[in-house]
Amino acid sequence: MHDPSRLSPAAKDALTEPAPVRWLLTGLALVFLALFLVVPLVSVFVQALDKGWDTYWTAITDPEALAAMRLTLLTAAISVPLNLVFGISASWAIAKFTFRGKNLLITLIDLPFSVSPVISGLIYVLLFGLQGWLGPWLAAHGLKIVFAVPGIVLATIFVTFPFVARELIPLMQAQGTEEEEAALVLGASGWQVFYRVTLPNVIWGVLYGVILCNARAMGEFGAVSVVSGHIRGLTNTMPLHVEILYNEYNFAAAFAVASLLAMLALFTLAAKTVLERKVRRDTKATADSFVRE
Amino acid sequence: MGIEVNKITKKFGTYTALDQVDLEVCSGELVALLGPSGSGKTTLLRVISGLETPDAGSVHFAGEEATRRHVRERQVGFVFQHYALFRHMTVFDNIAFGLTVKPKGQRLDKGRIRERVNQLLHLIQLDNLADRYPAHLSGGQRQRVALARALATEPRVLLLDEPFGALDAKVRQELRHWLRKLHDEIHVTSVFVTHDQEEALEVADRVVIMNEGRIEQIGTPEEVYENPVNPFVFTFLGNANLFPCRKAGADDLVFPSVEAAPTIGYVRPGDIHIKRSADGTEDLEAQVLFVQGAGALPRIELRRLDNDQVVKADLPRETYLQLELKVGERVFMRPTHVKIFGQGTPEGT
Repeated sequence: MHDPSRLSPAAKDALTEPAPVRWLLTGLALVFLALFLVVPLVSVFVQALDKGWDTYWTAITDPEALAAMRLTLLTAAISVPLNLVFGISASWAIAKFTFRGKNLLITLIDLPFSVSPVISGLIYVLLFGLQGWLGPWLAAHGLKIVFAVPGIVLATIFVTFPFVARELIPLMQAQGTEEEEAALVLGASGWQVFYRVTLPNVIWGVLYGVILCNARAMGEFGAVSVVSGHIRGLTNTMPLHVEILYNEYNFAAAFAVASLLAMLALFTLAAKTVLERKVRRDTKATADSFVRE
Repeated sequence: MGIEVNKITKKFGTYTALDQVDLEVCSGELVALLGPSGSGKTTLLRVISGLETPDAGSVHFAGEEATRRHVRERQVGFVFQHYALFRHMTVFDNIAFGLTVKPKGQRLDKGRIRERVNQLLHLIQLDNLADRYPAHLSGGQRQRVALARALATEPRVLLLDEPFGALDAKVRQELRHWLRKLHDEIHVTSVFVTHDQEEALEVADRVVIMNEGRIEQIGTPEEVYENPVNPFVFTFLGNANLFPCRKAGADDLVFPSVEAAPTIGYVRPGDIHIKRSADGTEDLEAQVLFVQGAGALPRIELRRLDNDQVVKADLPRETYLQLELKVGERVFMRPTHVKIFGQGTPEGT
């Protein structure tokens, strides 16, 4: 009934703004979108291919660039699964149980969103750096965290910590605990309840969270920059590598590597759109099961 | 299997949901827990199922202590108000769930499970919907699937939480007849929660009326309807007119117009007689305020002329058609079957 397309033209007019206002608002939105999103994205690819395919290919097959890609992939491969496990268990605990300190936990999950990534990086330097609290002990045992791969992974985990949990908590809360109770009464064990009832109900939400988490893990700059030490071929991730190339005025190579990150962003966007639709369907099915009849 | 509930108390924070509740359900019985929202009926059902742990008191199944027994070991079937079907499973898988989660040793083989599920699908008359998902079923169909799922594991007790609460009136009626019939066939001890007195009186063997965490009365539908023990039960089980009244002689009552009367008499709208002329001293003069003739029981509203009290009356259709009442007309009425609640013992006339 509230769908204007189904109404007569006259009734449609009563529900919408006059044509000039509509055009103005739509136009403004489009200009904004083009200026801030489309133009930069296109320019990344234009700049990357400015000097031809050969330069592009050389830039992305450069040993240092390849090392950066490997490190980025490794970081994501460690931090995403860890945050997946953490995110699912945290949202399961928060959405399906009541316990003391629940609100504190919810606040803590949001912490990485509210802290500047540079600060998060600095915290690790202060903790694990040579002058840090645990620095001397680590050095004595021959362990290197800051300015090495473990520091990069830790910083990335911290920054990407909220994505899966943030996505799942509202979804699980909307679904309530009735299905879990039904499964329990029917004799299912705790694991069976989780594996056969809770998880399948939120699977698209999980994927959605993972995609976002992965995009951030691969693209993170601030926190990683502080802990990495920028050692070429060793502790440079892709975003850091782009910065170094750019600072050396090697624009074509910088944009070539950046274009890979841009493609990751496009892929993420596409996957996000598809998954969003599925998540919405799940949430709607929840709402329907309460509303219908 | 019989259920025995002893002195169960359950608090949520400072709110007392159940206050020392005792209840005995005999084997094979169908009992209704009836009460307004917040009366503790659902909490009591959940305590019996094990989904809620009582603060004090005990639950016995067939004489065995079960208070601390885990939900999944109680062998109860539970039907939720909003069905709680597994939305990502087909009807078939929903019903089979309880059979497939059993430990390896006790689990039936696939063929036997299929057989049992098909049997249940036939019982709930949804044979051809086995491959549908819950989202594609109507409310009534979902509730029947929920029932089949609960029955699949052959529970010793069937517990139903407002099973028809979310359905529309017609489906509700059909389903409650169906539930009664089903119970007569399989005779599993069943307890169901409802806030609808009509549903409780129509379906249950015995009705347990609850209010504010306590049980007000237990009895067969006839007992509780004919002999309510207190004003709460009386007013909860149906509409009521309150008349100030005083005893006059052994059996007679008079209904003075003022509040100075020593007691209150409770009268059902169906026990108000309306006449064109007075033939006794107890007849009260009244004016017709409102007439609603459609439906099985025509409803009339009257205003007492001496104290302006508004009285509701349900007339048998025949009487209604004979009287041809018009709004504004003056008539006479007489309350009968007046219920008076003293301290403790109820008495009727």
